[in-house]
Amino acid sequence: MIDETSPLVEFAEDTLQIAALSFMALVYALKVRWMLKFPAARDRQARTGHGHTNPLKGALYSLGAIALPWTVLSTRQHPFFWVQFAVFHTAVAVSIAMSFIIPYGPELIADRATVLALQILFAAAIVIGTGRLIRRLANPYMRAISSPDDYFSLALLVVWFAFSFLAAPNTPQQAEWPLLGYFFLTAFFLIYVPFSKISHYLYYPFARWYLGRTLGHRGVYPIERGLKA
Amino acid sequence: MHEKVTRQMMLSLEACVHCGLCTDQCHYVLANPGDITYAPAYKADKIRKLFKAHLDWTGRAAPWWVGARSVFTDGELEELKDTVFGKCTNCRRCSLACPMGVDTATFNRMARGLLCHVGIMPEGVAVVAKDQWEVGNQMGVLPEEYLETLQWMEEELQSEYNDPSVKIPVDQPDCEVMYTINPREVKYDPRTIAEAAAIFHFAGESWTMPSVGWDQTNFGLFNGDDEFGGAVARRVYDAAVRLRARKVVISECGHGYRSTRCEGPNWGRIDVPVEMESAVITMLRYIKEGRIKVDKSRNSIPVTYHDSCNIARSCGLIEEPREVLNAVCADFREMHPNRAENYCCTGGGGAMSMSEYAPRRLKSAKIKAEQLKATGAKIVVTSCHNCVDGLFDLIRHYKLDMQVKQLVSLVANAMVVPEKPAA
Repeated sequence: MIDETSPLVEFAEDTLQIAALSFMALVYALKVRWMLKFPAARDRQARTGHGHTNPLKGALYSLGAIALPWTVLSTRQHPFFWVQFAVFHTAVAVSIAMSFIIPYGPELIADRATVLALQILFAAAIVIGTGRLIRRLANPYMRAISSPDDYFSLALLVVWFAFSFLAAPNTPQQAEWPLLGYFFLTAFFLIYVPFSKISHYLYYPFARWYLGRTLGHRGVYPIERGLKA
Repeated sequence: MHEKVTRQMMLSLEACVHCGLCTDQCHYVLANPGDITYAPAYKADKIRKLFKAHLDWTGRAAPWWVGARSVFTDGELEELKDTVFGKCTNCRRCSLACPMGVDTATFNRMARGLLCHVGIMPEGVAVVAKDQWEVGNQMGVLPEEYLETLQWMEEELQSEYNDPSVKIPVDQPDCEVMYTINPREVKYDPRTIAEAAAIFHFAGESWTMPSVGWDQTNFGLFNGDDEFGGAVARRVYDAAVRLRARKVVISECGHGYRSTRCEGPNWGRIDVPVEMESAVITMLRYIKEGRIKVDKSRNSIPVTYHDSCNIARSCGLIEEPREVLNAVCADFREMHPNRAENYCCTGGGGAMSMSEYAPRRLKSAKIKAEQLKATGAKIVVTSCHNCVDGLFDLIRHYKLDMQVKQLVSLVANAMVVPEKPAA
């Protein structure tokens, strides 16, 4: 497949991606170093709670909560919101994976069924992203907490998903622009994310870990929901 | 700010994606629909803007892009004060509801500390903290007043039980238990001291109260000053060491328990050499060990339990009060939601000492009032003095047919006192 592509597509899907990934890795390494400069608070006190938990259990429960929507009050009350989150972020992961698969293992997504599945996923993510953008613009609470970065990051992802949708068939012989658009956007995405709200995926595991560790130490996590009479 | 932001706070300040899922978890929002200034993420962003302006990379390079902004005017400082003191009780409900693990309450407290460092805080907080620092307790109770109250309660107990051996020991060294209280008990509700003393006495406990270091409350939790909080907590730890007590038992006070038991060692960087426990756990142990006998038919009026945020959400004291209630009450009904997901009484975060915010506090108490009403209970029990006052206020405001009590009162009422053999 690579043999059939133009030098520009070849550059976009290989050299450019490596450069963008290297840049992102460097910035992330610096960000982790920056994060570690802040002193970590610790729990000196003896443990509290019913004795059914400990800091490790609390931390693991807290980390797992992202995949267990019934354990978090807000996602339990808004399950559809969580489903949207799951589809949207699965699409992000798949699209990133696709940026490696197209240049290095195109046969993995060569059959029509796989392409169709990818396109359905990306289409769903486009619908969800657009819905989230509309929600952010229309809901006064959301408008009040949104910065230009919030709007731009969401719009960027929607456009990226659109190009992912178009690039999934991987047919440069028919038209190169979907692949060029997809790979250039992926490179921009990789460079931009460490400086935007999208970097939450770097921070949130640490945030959940520390919160869970503290609440595990204090006997709050794993949470008991209180449905008992 | 550089000195106050811990790694946990930095992560909470960075990880928010502005998803808005915290919005309908806050009692202020639920009671004030349409007012965006109560939304947890909006309130948190007031602090996040500062962090981004001073510490975050993108915030410093392109502040407008991520909404970074420092405070420049007195008006902006006042607005920040109004948000962090007057629109948030640090109840931590939004923290537990956040999918990202953003602990807003923790950095809201940090922001309070920043403001206090530049002398901006509600007058009530300043006055109470000053009393705690200078007099040794947050209500300015003088040593004579404290000792006289204990003496008075001792005499009441001796008269009630017709037993001169019932004592409230002070500064007795080498006891098993050193009992600490909230100054509110001395000032407004000394019956709870007497009730606890009766329970200790009939449980056969070796116990004492200290003459100094008896105030377990700590305005460091509310003004966000870790050094102040650590110094205040140290007074209790020092008293226990001085009296060589084996254990500090903390009376039913939400923020006192959290400050003394959970936060004080961290604020003051103290490795406390004494065991500490809530009086709720102590009473439960006495009941389980058969050291006191209780008759639940003596508390037959329907009761419900309000989980104090500081006790339940921040210290995990969740099941023990329920075990006590089931042992001493004939009709205990849960309110919903409960435990770590309970709504704040609206008196938390020092709100009871900030009278300027009382109208908005009472308005936001509508959520709790509805919760209470739905139980059909006639008594709401709580293990926190601030909650007692907050609940009392809202019961009066919303004209609910209810009383507020603490567990110690119900346990003392249910306690079957052994007959004294005739002389």
